[in-house]
Amino acid sequence: MTGVDGVDLRVDLGSLTLEHPLVDASGTFDLLENARRFRGDYFAAFPYAAYVPKTVTSGPREGNPPPRVTETACGMINAIGLENPGVEAFVSSLPALRPLRQPVIVSVGGNAPEDFAAVVRHLEEALDSSPGPPHVAGYELNVSCPNVRGGLSIGVDPGATAAVTTAVRALTSRLVLVKLTPNVTDVRPVARAAVQAGADGLSLVNTLRGMVLDPATLRPFLGNRTGGLCGPAIKPVALRMVAEVAEELPGVPLVGMGGVTSGRDALEFIACGATAVAVGAANFSGLEAPRRILEELRRECAARGFARVGDARGLALARAG
Amino acid sequence: MTPSARRPGDGHEHPGQWAETSRCRVAGARRFGAFTALEVLAPAITREARPGQFVMVTVPGGGFLLRRPLSIFTARGDRLGLLVEARGPGSERLAAVGVGEALEVAGPLGSAFPAADLRSALLVGGGIGCAPLQFLADALGATGVVVTAAFGFRDARQARATGAFDIARLWVTTEDGSVGRRGMVTDLLAAVDVPPSTTVFCCGPAAMIAAVQRWTATEGLRGYASLEAHMACGVGACHGCVVATTRGALRVCSEGPVFPLDEVVTG
Repeated sequence: MTGVDGVDLRVDLGSLTLEHPLVDASGTFDLLENARRFRGDYFAAFPYAAYVPKTVTSGPREGNPPPRVTETACGMINAIGLENPGVEAFVSSLPALRPLRQPVIVSVGGNAPEDFAAVVRHLEEALDSSPGPPHVAGYELNVSCPNVRGGLSIGVDPGATAAVTTAVRALTSRLVLVKLTPNVTDVRPVARAAVQAGADGLSLVNTLRGMVLDPATLRPFLGNRTGGLCGPAIKPVALRMVAEVAEELPGVPLVGMGGVTSGRDALEFIACGATAVAVGAANFSGLEAPRRILEELRRECAARGFARVGDARGLALARAG
Repeated sequence: MTPSARRPGDGHEHPGQWAETSRCRVAGARRFGAFTALEVLAPAITREARPGQFVMVTVPGGGFLLRRPLSIFTARGDRLGLLVEARGPGSERLAAVGVGEALEVAGPLGSAFPAADLRSALLVGGGIGCAPLQFLADALGATGVVVTAAFGFRDARQARATGAFDIARLWVTTEDGSVGRRGMVTDLLAAVDVPPSTTVFCCGPAAMIAAVQRWTATEGLRGYASLEAHMACGVGACHGCVVATTRGALRVCSEGPVFPLDEVVTG
C-alpha cells in the first residue's frame, strides 16, 4: 500500500507479503464481532494487513473465573484463560471470513506438542478439503499464555518450544510463527530453539505475569489470582526483547508487540528489528485505533524521509563489528 | 465467537449495536454527591438506544487506557444521559468533565430490557445500578405501563443520586437509615404491593441481584437483570467480562448486559 505521500508500507513476513506492517494481537480483536457492530462493509474497512483471531485449542475451553480484566497504571491485566470454542467450531466459523481479502494467521494453543498438532492437523485437513477464501496463510503458536495451567511451561523451555514447533512444522507448509513469552531471564535460547525447529518467524512479546489486589480486601483481584500485564507499561520491555532477538537471529522475521498505541510506537518496534507489528490493548480504545496508528506510521515514515517502512528496520540495533 | 452466539427467542432483546466512536460534546453536567449526571449530544446514539443498553466512553487524553462501560441513563431527543459514580481513576476523570468538553462514545451496545406487552413493572436498583432503570422508566411510562421503583443506597451521600432521577413512584432505602427506609432495598420487596402480572427489572450489586432472584422465584414473577462487569473491549472480542449463567459463561457486553433473571447464576 503506497500512500499519497509515497511511503511504501509493504513488508515481507517470510514468504507472506503484507500490505502494511500492522496486524492485530491475538485475543484483542474479533473481526466478526466488529462486523456485526459496523454500519458499512467491515471487510472492506478491515484495517489490518492480516487477521490473527483469538487462540484456538483442540477442544473447547471455558477460561478462567471472573473477574478477568482490570486497568493498571499505564496498562491493563487480564486472565481470560484461552476461552474458545475449540478447533471444530473455529473451522465452522471460517466461511464467515470468506469476504476477507487479507490473510488469516491462526493462533494455536495447547499444553503439549500433540495438542498443537491436533489443531493444525484439523485445520490442514479442513483447508485441503475446502480450498479458497479465507486465505489461511499460517499459524502463530501460542506457547506463552501466562493464564492457563502449563501455558508457560512450554515457552520458558527451549526444548519444549522446539518440540511444539517440530510437531507443527511436520504438518504444514504454511507460515509458522512462534509467540514468545517475556517471562524468562533470556529470551534468545527459546527464540533460537524455535527457529532451529523450523519456525519461519517469531512473535514477541506475550504478556508479563503480574498480580493486582482488590484495595478493599487486599486479596488478588483476578479470579485466576495472577494475570498477564499488557499495554504501554510493557513497551520498553518488549522493545528490548525484540532487539535482543533481532541481534541474535538476523534475517528471522519478527512480529513485534507490547504496548503499541501510536504510529511512533510501531516504528520503534521496526527500528528494533521487527518486520510486522501487532496492536493489542489499543484495540480496546475503539474501532478506529488501528487506522489511526497506520496513518501515524505512514506520516512518521514520510517525515523522516523513509521511502519504505523497511528503511527503519534495525536502526536501533547494535552494529556488528 | 462463543458457542452461545445470540439466539432470537432467548427471552430478552438484542437490538442493533454500533461500535463506531462518536466525539460528543458535553451539554450538561450536574453533581449529586458522588454521582455526576452528564448529558452529551449524541443524536446517532439516542436514536437507536434501547433501555438496558450501554455505551463505551472515554475522555480523549484523559490519562486512562480502557474505555468505561456506562449504562444509558436517559435518551431524550439528541441528549444522551449518563450517570457516573466516581470510584476509581477512570470514573473520577469522567465524573469531573465539564460542559463543553468532548467525550468519545461508542454505542449503543449490548442487549436491552424487553419492554413490549407489559402491564406493570417493578424496577429494583442498587447504587450506580439504578442508572439504566431511568431510561426504562421513561420508555415504559410513555406506553402507559405502571412503573414502581425501589432504589437502595449505602448512605445519605450516595442517596443524593435520587436527585438525578425522575420516577413518580420511587421508594428509597439506605443501609444506615439516613434517607428513606433503613435496610437493604430487597427488604422492601415484601412490602411492595404489585399485581401478579408484574415484570421485575433489576440492576445492582451481585448480592442484590441474588436476593431479587430469590424473591421473584418465590412470587412467581418474571424478571430481568442488567449485570455489571469490568470490561476491556466492550464489543465481544476479549471475553474479559463473562459471567456465569445457566447457558454457560456469557459475555456481559454481547449476550448481556440484560439477562433473564432465572438465567443468572449467583453466589
